[in-house]
Amino acid sequence: MLFSRRLSVLILVAALAGCGTGDTETEQTQPQRGGTLTFATADAEPTCLDPHVGGNMPQKIAGIHVMESLFTMTEEGELLPWLAESGVMSEDGMTWTVTLRDGIEFTDGTPFTAEAVKANVEHIQDPATESSTGYLALEHVDRVEAADPLTAIIHMTQPDVSLMESFAQTWLAMESPVALQRSMEENCTSPVGTGPFVIEEWRKQHSITYSRNESYSSAPATAGHEGPAYLDTLVLRFMPDASSRYAALQAGDVDVIDSAQPDTIAQAQAQDGQIRALIGVRSGASTRLELNTGGVTFSDPLVRQAFMIASDIDAGVETLFFGTVERSTSLVASTTPHGTSHDDAFVFDQDRANDLLDEAGWVLGSDGVRTKDGERLTVRIPVSTNQSIPAEQSLLEQIQAQAGQVGFEVTLEPMDLASWYAAAGAWEFDAITAPYGKSSPDVMRIIFHSDGIEPAPSGYHANNINVRNDELDSLLERANQDAAERGELYAQAQQIIIDGAYVLPLYDWQTRVLYRDDVAGLRLETNLSAPWFHEVWMK
Amino acid sequence: MTVSFAARRLGGTALVLWAVATIVFLAITAIPGDDLDAILGPGSNASEEAVARAIDTHGLDRPLIVRYWIQMMSLATFDWGVSFSYDAPVIDLIADQLPATLTLAFTSLGLALVIALLTSFISVYGALPWRILSTIEVVSAALPHFALAIVLIVVFSTWLGLLPPVSTDDPISLILPALTLAIPTAGFMGQVMRETMLDAMEAQFSLSARARGETMSGLYLRHLLRHAILPALTVAGWAFGSLMSGAVVVEAVFARQGIGRTLLTAVGVRDMPLVLGILIVIAAVYCLVTLIVDILSALIDPRVGT
Repeated sequence: MLFSRRLSVLILVAALAGCGTGDTETEQTQPQRGGTLTFATADAEPTCLDPHVGGNMPQKIAGIHVMESLFTMTEEGELLPWLAESGVMSEDGMTWTVTLRDGIEFTDGTPFTAEAVKANVEHIQDPATESSTGYLALEHVDRVEAADPLTAIIHMTQPDVSLMESFAQTWLAMESPVALQRSMEENCTSPVGTGPFVIEEWRKQHSITYSRNESYSSAPATAGHEGPAYLDTLVLRFMPDASSRYAALQAGDVDVIDSAQPDTIAQAQAQDGQIRALIGVRSGASTRLELNTGGVTFSDPLVRQAFMIASDIDAGVETLFFGTVERSTSLVASTTPHGTSHDDAFVFDQDRANDLLDEAGWVLGSDGVRTKDGERLTVRIPVSTNQSIPAEQSLLEQIQAQAGQVGFEVTLEPMDLASWYAAAGAWEFDAITAPYGKSSPDVMRIIFHSDGIEPAPSGYHANNINVRNDELDSLLERANQDAAERGELYAQAQQIIIDGAYVLPLYDWQTRVLYRDDVAGLRLETNLSAPWFHEVWMK
Repeated sequence: MTVSFAARRLGGTALVLWAVATIVFLAITAIPGDDLDAILGPGSNASEEAVARAIDTHGLDRPLIVRYWIQMMSLATFDWGVSFSYDAPVIDLIADQLPATLTLAFTSLGLALVIALLTSFISVYGALPWRILSTIEVVSAALPHFALAIVLIVVFSTWLGLLPPVSTDDPISLILPALTLAIPTAGFMGQVMRETMLDAMEAQFSLSARARGETMSGLYLRHLLRHAILPALTVAGWAFGSLMSGAVVVEAVFARQGIGRTLLTAVGVRDMPLVLGILIVIAAVYCLVTLIVDILSALIDPRVGT
């Protein structure tokens, strides 16, 4: 009930904002139709464009132009309507009543109705779809009942207050039920949604070309513009190399790039020339070092505390990221609701770190490394060169050097993604940075609940701190079932993790976009911060 | 050139392809990680039913030796199976990407030959001391593709604004990636060609040709080139193999389509059928090119094909 009241206010606010603000930086000219925009992404090319299959960041970046979600979110993590008007949870949490917007059609002409929602949920839950992200998000959904064309009633097996937040993710986007009946291969190549663009052509290892959906009418509540997109054509290019991506932007061969390096962002911001920057926060977990309490080194809380205050992370983040990101002391992203900051817990103090290690019985050896009972004080950190950008790797090197000053022997082990997953799965690490995107504080249940210690069928476990704490488990479960007490329960859960010194937060996980200044109206769709081209026009 | 020569070559090619397939199969099996990761996406939390289905579809529950046998038989019968990650026939994926890579490799080979001919011509004329030329050749032969690509992008795109830094639909965008591959190859070829030419220039026939009043250009075109072309051909066969492997880096840096880039993706996600398919195709193309080189050599110099 709380949710629906808040929602109705937000709809009003969003509607007002929609007519009021418009586009602030281009007040001198009116938006004009036409043109082609090329967006070069560093993310891998998806192997399937249907985000129900698997469910990762590359699929979201390619899919959001075509397939839309029931809800969107503001930068503060508030839910706003998109394809659905509202979602109301029953008192006991066992049903959700979702009211849909009227008059929306998929681009193949199929009407968007409660039957479509039902078909999409069934598609995600079907084992043959091989869904991961969407499947997990619908774990507690029993079935969907189409009460009338615009009312879908979702029956639960147990309460899940973050269900509507999950429905704001592209991995649970709505697809045409008629199109879903085609073969998996066909649906992977040309999924059909309600979005501002339709897929024209997918040239593997090269690009996806999208053309405008002329009858588009389902802009999200965050949109500054209704109706069809301004662009005729959108091209998504896959460009893995950072220097050529930036060179292509400078040369004007592409208009927008993502995963820009912090130094080029700082350069663009300082020059105020042809290239502009747009930085957004990806919701979910912050970028953090998680300490494996199952190993020798970090089984002792004194050693964990010592490690956390041994390096000057504030200064490292500031210099290596050229002021483009702030240091975080929170377990979740700044855009994820119910996150709490803990500045006092991570104050740089090498003297105290030395005292803690002395107290824990680790003796400094002649080679500068501490030992205890014949064991060296080692910290193994596997680094995925696919996931960690150079600035992040440099930050880890600084931590390595500074923790070394108090007697830690930190080894960084660079590896490809497959080996990194293998090392993480086999617990072959003392500390690790693992991104996890989810537009809900329920991300904490996934990465800190002891259920996450048990490996998934593929061998990967989401929980890297290896802590079994019944109180923590119970808080995280209750927070996802009790909307009213949610904030308080999450605060208590976060305090347990901070007190245990299990996680060293570093900074927000970001989307870093650079674009040429003839691109107007570009923003990040705040649901996990993907560039959103519906409102974009070329000057 | 005899029938037995051709038969021996064909048998040898089959043996090479079988060896490549076996080594690749063993190498991929040795990469840490799980085949399921490749199919369901790394770190997947897919349902147990989905996992069971994937295991069954791709035969992951069979012993390694059985899977090896199945892979080899399907390769031999040109049924190359379905890519784990793309869920599409391997043969279609390769057919999609091969033309772009072959275009790049042949353009690079052509460019490398032209550059090597030019440098060898300069040597013969003595316009530049051979030590300087030799140094340039050694340096360029040793240049890593990645570093060279970045230098070319910075100079020709960012500074001069002449050429696009990434591939576009305009054929002009082929120049920088082709140059990146051609320069080190040309350095290597140029060295081999110059040695042969300088030797030939000292030979009796050159002296008598010059005595007959032959110009330097005439000597180069009518006599020396013929001597230099044989080693150049042999090197070209070898170079083609290195161009195909260089394509992995170049296609990623210049954002070009191609099997090099597909290979990189496929290895990263342990997509066994796709990796096997691509490497077999690369090996087959390499064998074919060497075969053509050998036949050409035999035509130019009958002493070769015996």
